[in-house]
Amino acid sequence: MAIKHVIIGGGTAGWNAITTIREIDGGNSEIILVSDENPYSRMVLPYYLSREIGESHVFTASETRLGQLKVETRLGRRAVSLDPNANKVVLDDDEEIQYDNLLIATGSSPVRAPIPGADAPGVHSFWTLDQARQLAAELQPGTRVAMIGAGFISFTILDSLVQRGADLKIFEIAPRILPRMVDDTGAGIVAKWLADKGVQVQAGAEVTSIEESGGAKVLKFKGGPDVEADVVIMATGIKTNLEWLEGSGVEMNAGILVNDFLRSSESNIYAAGDVAEGLDCVTGEKAIHAIEPTAMQHGRVAGANMAGVETVYSGSLLMNIVGVLGLEIASFGSWDDPEAEVIEAVQPDRPAYRKLLFRGDRLTGAIILGSEGDVWTTNDVGILKGLVHSGNELSAWKEQLRKNPFDVKRAFLATGAAAALLPKTLLGRPSVPERDIAVSS
Amino acid sequence: MKALKIIPENCTGCMRCELACSYEQTGTFQPSKAVIRVSAFESHTSYSPYTCPQCAEAWCMTACPVEAIVISPAGAKDVVNDICVGCKLCTIACPYGTIFYDADLHKAFKCDLCGGQPACVSACPRDAIFYEEVQVTDWVGPFAAERAQAPGGPLAVGVN
Ligand SMILES: Cc1cc2nc3c(=O)[nH]c(=O)nc-3n(C[C@H](O)[C@H](O)[C@H](O)COP(=O)(O)OP(=O)(O)OC[C@H]3O[C@@H](n4cnc5c(N)ncnc54)[C@H](O)[C@@H]3O)c2cc1C
Ligand code: SF4
Ligand code: SF4
Repeated sequence: MAIKHVIIGGGTAGWNAITTIREIDGGNSEIILVSDENPYSRMVLPYYLSREIGESHVFTASETRLGQLKVETRLGRRAVSLDPNANKVVLDDDEEIQYDNLLIATGSSPVRAPIPGADAPGVHSFWTLDQARQLAAELQPGTRVAMIGAGFISFTILDSLVQRGADLKIFEIAPRILPRMVDDTGAGIVAKWLADKGVQVQAGAEVTSIEESGGAKVLKFKGGPDVEADVVIMATGIKTNLEWLEGSGVEMNAGILVNDFLRSSESNIYAAGDVAEGLDCVTGEKAIHAIEPTAMQHGRVAGANMAGVETVYSGSLLMNIVGVLGLEIASFGSWDDPEAEVIEAVQPDRPAYRKLLFRGDRLTGAIILGSEGDVWTTNDVGILKGLVHSGNELSAWKEQLRKNPFDVKRAFLATGAAAALLPKTLLGRPSVPERDIAVSS
Repeated sequence: MKALKIIPENCTGCMRCELACSYEQTGTFQPSKAVIRVSAFESHTSYSPYTCPQCAEAWCMTACPVEAIVISPAGAKDVVNDICVGCKLCTIACPYGTIFYDADLHKAFKCDLCGGQPACVSACPRDAIFYEEVQVTDWVGPFAAERAQAPGGPLAVGVN
């Protein structure tokens, strides 16, 4: 009998696992996808919000395509419990599904600040397509938008809100913006850039409640004047979707603990993406990297292993990039490592910042800021990522970087980073575009 | 598969490859839009071009959330502008630093081997760039490493 793979969650990780299984087995297995939502990519939602793309552009697979890939679906349905001893998942309509291999790829959900009024109508999260639709429908030129939280997700939609003509104000409870993506110096440069462009961002602002007054929202602050808004967006963090696994016995820390094959404590249960706590290739420890590239890589490696091709994962690299009104902001690896040796520089004449973090002669983390139109920014973003990814010893070039932290491209070339990177592959081949995967009937 | 072979020893730093590349790619001479870029070593006495090695993994292509990167008939990983949303993920997924973001078009851009007739190859007057059946390798590393003893002063503007 054909082996039966059950995938819970059809986001980036789940979808990549499915395509990888099909690239390998050409249809010689049973795949059942259980997902609360149809497969799409969340990180494309900001471009839907700005109306640069239509709704169809966000989907990764249509139901027709899933059918062509011989994927049986349970869409709009949720897994509610797991019994590893019986190899069985239970869905919210009591259906029980048996599996040979299970992939848990249920991602994360947004959390709202626990304040009165947080769940009232007109207060939005921005995480799912449904939420994006609701917010998109409420925006008109001049709409007063108050966004609570100045972290990565908030910044991914900042440009879209400005493009839609929103009158935007952003509030962050932490003493500075982007607390989990850049350091103080970087945050200062971003804050100044936004202020110069007329976007109001206030750090150290604690919203205590959201009230209703004459059809508008009123944000109350600890020790500050009220702010009125038409629309409130809460971008106050995320949590991993693990509740349904309680009592299952699958080993969990902050996420599902997985080994180098993306297997959990149960050998036929895999986890991938935001829910998985797997190897960090820079620190060698386990971590959750709730980012798109990790979800993609986990999905592909888990998929290969599920399809019987033993594939070792060398770990994920934390990386984020976001542009706000023409300023590019990116960080890589252990960019906030307090024990690292730091080399940094800010250009006096333009908003350009490089921070290089070393453990010994290895670059283990980096932050880069610069104008999107600056050729040096476009050049160095990928080079910095590559230097961290390669894990190469920079030796003499470290001293050169101390003199000029902007000289990263030559350090990359001269230390043979490209040679070190060529054999460092995931599966050693690109994903096959989904339309080209041949499936036997 | 045919690929670009770079012989840095032959490069004189004339930058014609960058100019030809930007012209082929954008219709104007703007080295900042070139996808082959020349670096200087030894205080500007030696030079080498560097571009996408069309790596086997194609990190850029696999990372793209909207499948905007495809393999062209020439075997290049190529960005389809109409599909690209400009999210920049590919620019950090690629570890070679060879796919870039175009701030004017809001799209990613990279070497597409000019559809099989690379402009840089014809533009180079000194046999530093070839397009032939060849195993992908680190063409520039050993050359650059030899010249690393004297890293030299700050880079001149205009040389990437
Ligand atoms: C607006 C926005 C912008 C972003 N921008 C970036 C970016 O620029 N770069 C970046 O790296 N990352 C970005 N991210 C994060 C990125 O989208 C996530 O890391 C990625 O989607 C994780 O993939 P995943 O497959 O683990 O989870 P998800 O994509 O969240 O998929 C999980 C799926 O599981 C389903 N599900 C959940 N629970 C159950 C259940 N019990 N039963 C059945 N199905 C269930 C969900 O409905 C969903 O379909 C962004 C996210 C958002 C919201
Ligand atoms: S741009 Fe980078 S990831 Fe893409 S094919 Fe070239 S080297 Fe590989
Ligand atoms: S910038 Fe374009 S090509 Fe690159 S990952 Fe995003 S959508 Fe894909």
